[in-house]
Amino acid sequence: MQGTRAIAVSEITRKFGPLTAVDRVSFDVGEGEFFGFLGPNGAGKTTLIRMLTTLLVPTGGNAVVSGWDVAREPAEVRKRIGVVPQAMTSDLDLTGYENMDLYGRFYGIHARDRKERIRSLLDMVGLAQRANDLVATYSGGMRRRLEIARVLVHRPALLFLDEPTIGLDPQSRHVVWDFLRKLIEGDSMTIFLTTHYMEEAETLCGRVAIIDAGKIIAMGSPAELKAGIPGKDIVSLAVGNASTELAEALGGLPFVHEVRPEDGVFRIFVDSGARNLPALIDAVRASGGAILSATVHEQSLEDVFIHYTGKSIREEEARKVSFFVGAGVPQKLG
Amino acid sequence: MMIRFFAVVERDLLKFKRNPVVLAMSILMPVIYLVILGNSFQGKLTDLPVAVVNQDPGPYAKRILENLRAIQAGPRTFSLLGMSDQGEAVKGVKEGRYKAAIIIPPDFSKRVALSARPEVGLFLDNPDNISAETIRNLFGAAILSMRSEYVPIRENAGEAHLRDINLFPKVDYYQSLVPGVVIMAIFLGTLTTGVFNLVMDRFLGIEESYLLTPLTRAHIVSGLVASGLSITTGIASLILVVSMLITGIPLSRALGQILPLFLVIVLATLCLLSLMFVILGRAGHPRIVGVLSGFLNVILFFPSGAVYPIASFPGWLKAFAKINPEAYAVDALKAILFRNAGLAGVSGDIAFLAVFTAVTLTFSILAFKRTL
Ligand SMILES: Nc1ncnc2c1ncn2[C@@H]1O[C@H](COP(=O)(O)OP(=O)(O)O)[C@@H](O)[C@H]1O
Ligand SMILES: [Mg+2]
Repeated sequence: MQGTRAIAVSEITRKFGPLTAVDRVSFDVGEGEFFGFLGPNGAGKTTLIRMLTTLLVPTGGNAVVSGWDVAREPAEVRKRIGVVPQAMTSDLDLTGYENMDLYGRFYGIHARDRKERIRSLLDMVGLAQRANDLVATYSGGMRRRLEIARVLVHRPALLFLDEPTIGLDPQSRHVVWDFLRKLIEGDSMTIFLTTHYMEEAETLCGRVAIIDAGKIIAMGSPAELKAGIPGKDIVSLAVGNASTELAEALGGLPFVHEVRPEDGVFRIFVDSGARNLPALIDAVRASGGAILSATVHEQSLEDVFIHYTGKSIREEEARKVSFFVGAGVPQKLG
Repeated sequence: MMIRFFAVVERDLLKFKRNPVVLAMSILMPVIYLVILGNSFQGKLTDLPVAVVNQDPGPYAKRILENLRAIQAGPRTFSLLGMSDQGEAVKGVKEGRYKAAIIIPPDFSKRVALSARPEVGLFLDNPDNISAETIRNLFGAAILSMRSEYVPIRENAGEAHLRDINLFPKVDYYQSLVPGVVIMAIFLGTLTTGVFNLVMDRFLGIEESYLLTPLTRAHIVSGLVASGLSITTGIASLILVVSMLITGIPLSRALGQILPLFLVIVLATLCLLSLMFVILGRAGHPRIVGVLSGFLNVILFFPSGAVYPIASFPGWLKAFAKINPEAYAVDALKAILFRNAGLAGVSGDIAFLAVFTAVTLTFSILAFKRTL
């Protein structure tokens, strides 16, 4: 973390009636950092980013962004930041170039500087060929890239992105990621991003805060966060005919850090899944259990999330989606 | 900074240009309005079907019939249908086929000659107030003048006669609607530009990206008002010229008064644009605009004096007309087009429109929410 702070947040809170969407959140982001907020849908990510970017007034606490208090000096903050909101916000009736040009003018940039800057940005996001087509004819990925390029016209030192790759296909997602990596290397920008894709947080962010139900539950670099949970790998064994003592027996093995039984699936925290798997299988067999399936995976931020909340980000997603799909009748997925 | 203001204006104009259907409709609708209004809601009634049953062979009945036929041939208020069956005629009125039935009884002429309270039956479709009233008045006149055959040759010099003196060039009903149609064009223009585009952006979620920029409330509101102004005044001026051509008002009248005309159109547009901003500034769904538009049109347009003179309104409605910007705009346009009034002649109207604009525009800027 560098010396100066691009963002300093203290006890920031936002209530919507009885609901506390963001609950006394505090954190700092240093200049030049790539900082991410990871959390499931409804965790409060958008509410937080809207407060930091002056769109919502906090109901408690405060935030200083680029040296200015967001509630007291919102105009100063707006001049210095670039923000890509979660929803697509480019104008469909305008061309890509017009979208960018008007944005540049909203920031008071003069014609000569604008033209060159827009051309090079469009080039960088691979939209130079389509610059004069209406945005209505763009794909989702193109539109998102245009929107990222658009908020760079005025060369902000601090960039906010709210779920920048939501709804994009994997290929478009990787294109956006590459572009964001280039930004942080080349232009020494500070980037603040929210996401519910752990891969996104893990591959892009130098530091991550995990947020759930409006509260930060863990914060640190992806490596630090993963170090906070025991072991390096997780072996998941689905066991048939498991005896009641099996969990205890597995936990007693010298290389096992922790065992979590869940509906006949044992999540076993070890240092090296590949090396330890045979011994684990032997132990299950010795207890009279039958292995139905076995998977080994390296711990991810997903496991960190599960470790602290007892639920998975993906499950959260699936449960929420199922309520929509079933039109009021929750249906079981998977 | 002006660069930001003009960017807001240009964005809005660009988007308008990309939707030619909106432009075409904004121009067509007021013109159709003129044609429909002019034909359905005319100053005079014509061709009202009236059944006539004459059972009297005498001279006075003949006189009455001649008078009625004269009205049929002249102003064409009635279309007379001679019948013999009294019951059938009354039944026709009841069933709505005739607006009235006139029954002249067999002894009518005899009673007139004897001065024995002669009577003619008049059955009216009285729920249709306007036509019933007109027929009663005209028919009363036809009976009163039935003795005119016996008026002495030498005119009675002592009797007073009315002579019409038109102070201004004659204005027919169609022409008198032109100011109203121009106001209608302005109303429609201000409803589909200005704040409407803000509501649309909000609805589409695009507004967020503009609130994130350094644009101030004043930039956003005045930029949208300015682009709405240029679109609406363009359309309104075109509608003025087209409706003058359709109704036969000489264009020279507009050309001679181009400055006051332009000023009135611009100010009326600004008034309505800012008024819409005050009313719809926080609406989040275009449906709200749709629901309110019909209502606003009725409460602003009908009490504007565009169709009926404000002088005939009841007191409370007159009071409302005093604060209705459309009433001032109609008054000014009528004065300029039909009474050849210059800038001085409409200065009162212009002053009101200017003050109304200043107040509502200031209010809508202050009331604009810069956060979500
Ligand atoms: N304008 C609002 N009014 C009421 N509740 C809101 C509003 N915006 C967000 N919320 C609620 O606040 C919580 C956090 O939402 P949000 O910040 O959008 O989460 P995320 O972006 O992490 O998915 C959710 O429960 C959401 O329903
Ligand atoms: Mg969100």
